[in-house]
Amino acid sequence: MTGPNVSPVVAAPDDSAAGPLVVACLRITDLRATVDPLDGSISRDPLGVGLSPADAAGLEQALRMAESWDGRVVAVAVGPESIDPILRDVAALGVTVVRVPSAHDSDGHRYVAELAEDEHGLAETVLAAVRPFGRPVLVVCGDRSVDRGTGALPAFLAHELGAAQALGLVALRSDGPEAVVVERRLDAGWRERLRVLLPAVCSVEGAGVRLRRASLAGALAVADAAVPVDRSTGRTAAGSAAGTGVLHIGATRPYAPRTRVIPAPEGHDPRLRLLALTGALVAHDPPTVVHPADAAEAADVLLSFLARHGYIDAEDVAPEAGAP
Amino acid sequence: MPEPRTDVAAFDAVVVGAGPAGASAALALARAGRSVVLVERGPFPGSKNVYGGVVYGRVLDGIIPGWWDEVPVERWVVRRSTVMMTGTQSLSVDFRTDAWGAAPYNGMTTLRSHFDAWLAGKATEAGARLVTSTVATGLVRDGAGRVVGVRTDRDGAELHAPVVIACDGVNSFLAKEAGLLSRAEASHHTLGVKEVLDLPPGAINERFGVQDHEGVDMEILGCTRDIPGGGFLYTNADSVSIGVVLSLPQLAASGVRPEELVADLKAHPTIAPLLRGLTLREYSAHLIPEGGYDTMPALAADGLLIAGDAGAMTLAAGLWLEGVNFAIGSGYAAGQAVDRALTAGDCTARGLASYRADLEGQFVLADHKRLRKAPSLVLSDRVQQRYPGLLCDLAEGMFTVTNPTPKAGGLKVTRAAAARHGVTLRQLAGDTLRGLRIFG
Amino acid sequence: MSGPAPGRSPWDGISFEERMATVDFRVGARAHIAVDAEVCRSCTTKACVSACPANLFAPTSDGGILFNYEECFECGTCYMVCDSEGAITWTYPDGGHGVVFHHG
Repeated sequence: MTGPNVSPVVAAPDDSAAGPLVVACLRITDLRATVDPLDGSISRDPLGVGLSPADAAGLEQALRMAESWDGRVVAVAVGPESIDPILRDVAALGVTVVRVPSAHDSDGHRYVAELAEDEHGLAETVLAAVRPFGRPVLVVCGDRSVDRGTGALPAFLAHELGAAQALGLVALRSDGPEAVVVERRLDAGWRERLRVLLPAVCSVEGAGVRLRRASLAGALAVADAAVPVDRSTGRTAAGSAAGTGVLHIGATRPYAPRTRVIPAPEGHDPRLRLLALTGALVAHDPPTVVHPADAAEAADVLLSFLARHGYIDAEDVAPEAGAP
Repeated sequence: MPEPRTDVAAFDAVVVGAGPAGASAALALARAGRSVVLVERGPFPGSKNVYGGVVYGRVLDGIIPGWWDEVPVERWVVRRSTVMMTGTQSLSVDFRTDAWGAAPYNGMTTLRSHFDAWLAGKATEAGARLVTSTVATGLVRDGAGRVVGVRTDRDGAELHAPVVIACDGVNSFLAKEAGLLSRAEASHHTLGVKEVLDLPPGAINERFGVQDHEGVDMEILGCTRDIPGGGFLYTNADSVSIGVVLSLPQLAASGVRPEELVADLKAHPTIAPLLRGLTLREYSAHLIPEGGYDTMPALAADGLLIAGDAGAMTLAAGLWLEGVNFAIGSGYAAGQAVDRALTAGDCTARGLASYRADLEGQFVLADHKRLRKAPSLVLSDRVQQRYPGLLCDLAEGMFTVTNPTPKAGGLKVTRAAAARHGVTLRQLAGDTLRGLRIFG
Repeated sequence: MSGPAPGRSPWDGISFEERMATVDFRVGARAHIAVDAEVCRSCTTKACVSACPANLFAPTSDGGILFNYEECFECGTCYMVCDSEGAITWTYPDGGHGVVFHHG
């Protein structure tokens, strides 16, 4: 073989000399997963797996932050073997990847059951998988996964790390070795700028940055590499779900508003009862038909109609020059 | 993770395209101990590929013995129907055999995202390096003009090798750049549009009269209005593939939208009951090179071979519609030819000439050569526009009971049907002879 | 042979958008199709408009062509049926992007 050397994507040992550790926490799943509206079962196609826009932006932000600190990036994802091709693509960017096995296969899960999974346990498992690489100064998550979930994972990660947390970010930059400055959207096009002390867990929106492409050398290097699987905790991520869930969702039923009782109309004649019930003989305002000559006149007619019926104040339609 | 900081990587061979041709070429080379890189522009092998339904596996016997035990099959085809239709009639020749439903099998339906990935997996198991999500944007040549690699869209980084095998499909930009393929000729191509419709396995078995794992292949003529082409319907494990194949120039001239013609076919009284109530799972479209042997490009240049659809190796000869098997056959032969050329140290067009000789000696080019006149006959006006109706009318004339009028003789019915469709008996006899000469 | 009567088959009821929504498109940042509308203005056939299976080309009132690239099957029909050299420039989308067939 004359090709370049292949190195498997082995987990690097804890090497603090390699600079601060940035963790990209990815949820790699079918980007077009569907939930059956009748029984709530989820279908995921292993061929559809990929990085969601939010996760891709998160990974790019993690890479940029690591570059600005001369640090390194570890990407961790929970999932079955079918997500390995995507992790390999991530590894081609020079990122160390680790997969936490999941009992989830591609199919047959209930959405409600997944919602009730133990996110706290999941956060512990994810951090246990990262621990061999050192203590993260920054964890970046996508703020929204395509197949939803509770969105509670970043909060549990922050809790476990004793870190600050910021959500819904569109920009991220380092502010010295102690902090990051982040931006998030507010209403009316405003943005809020926050200084977040490290360690921090930041969730970013799928906006603002585009994930870079791996170099050809990087792609070649990982072409047949194995993705390391973390079994340090001896349990799979979803294995912790049953029984220990902190979120309990019971059976759901359709919303059925209470019936409103209307008294039966008085009278002996069925015709009169029917008339009373339908209000057919009650006088109503006839519809107003207007056909004014020009637009200004039409506007005045409409405004006076609205004023007459109390939709607008009468003084708002105070006649200007030439109004009736 | 250490990352080589060069923009050039060198191999014994670069194979572009991880479809059946490229995967087979890479497999042959990897088995010969060569270092080979397989470049795929999609996120996984098969992600850009669509086919008209049946893979004939005989070609795999010599390459992957016992392939049928592991191939990702949807259904084994045991029923093959050839259907002629008009707007209101249809005439089927329906063949069924148990022989095709047991090893070594004949044809199968599969999904390309599964099949191509399986075949590429064989290549990587043998040692080929697969790089996905990477486009080969152009050829790299040395001072003498010989091809010595490809440029990729990953920052323009290059893959170098003494030989490049271009298996980059029907649009093959590499073959065009090398001058092997002239400007794309619409008349040598057809457009296939396909719908995959959900249908539970039990319902497939009931509607198509098959057992589990058994499948049906229907080839349909006369369902494409004035546009030369045909239709197809195949059963997958839990879905049905239906579509039409349309000659490009006439499609363009007609102004008809392709999906309209699929809707036509689905609404035909013969097809509609089979598909009642189904929902669309995926719509797709792809070009097919249908020019046949006479339009095939030269298959080798200095440092370059082409295989599969890039070399127009799709057999669209009416009775036979095959492509994946030709891709596998040509790809594997290309890999072996490159291995021989590397051993001999001569990767010029002359050194690679054993590729074409090999293909001529086996089914890949032998079939194409024997059926070289078939595309023009199959796409001819009479076969497309007149014979389906003629044959349907003939059947209707023979089988309609006309009491109390006495039955008409066969010749009279034939003459009447021929006249109604503007075909003389002389033309009919002539085309029959032509067909016998081509297919016989 | 004319088209099916309206409403004859229930599945024809799906809109073109619903049809395209069944396909997995991973849209890249770079448009892989380019159309020179100047050339199109002199084109009388505009074959790309009806032949494109993804319906990506739309004629404009000034005789040009408006095109989309996002939901492209990457089949090549458009440039092959195009009469005028150079009107449609068509390449593959960037690696990993574009259409992804699951049931091809």
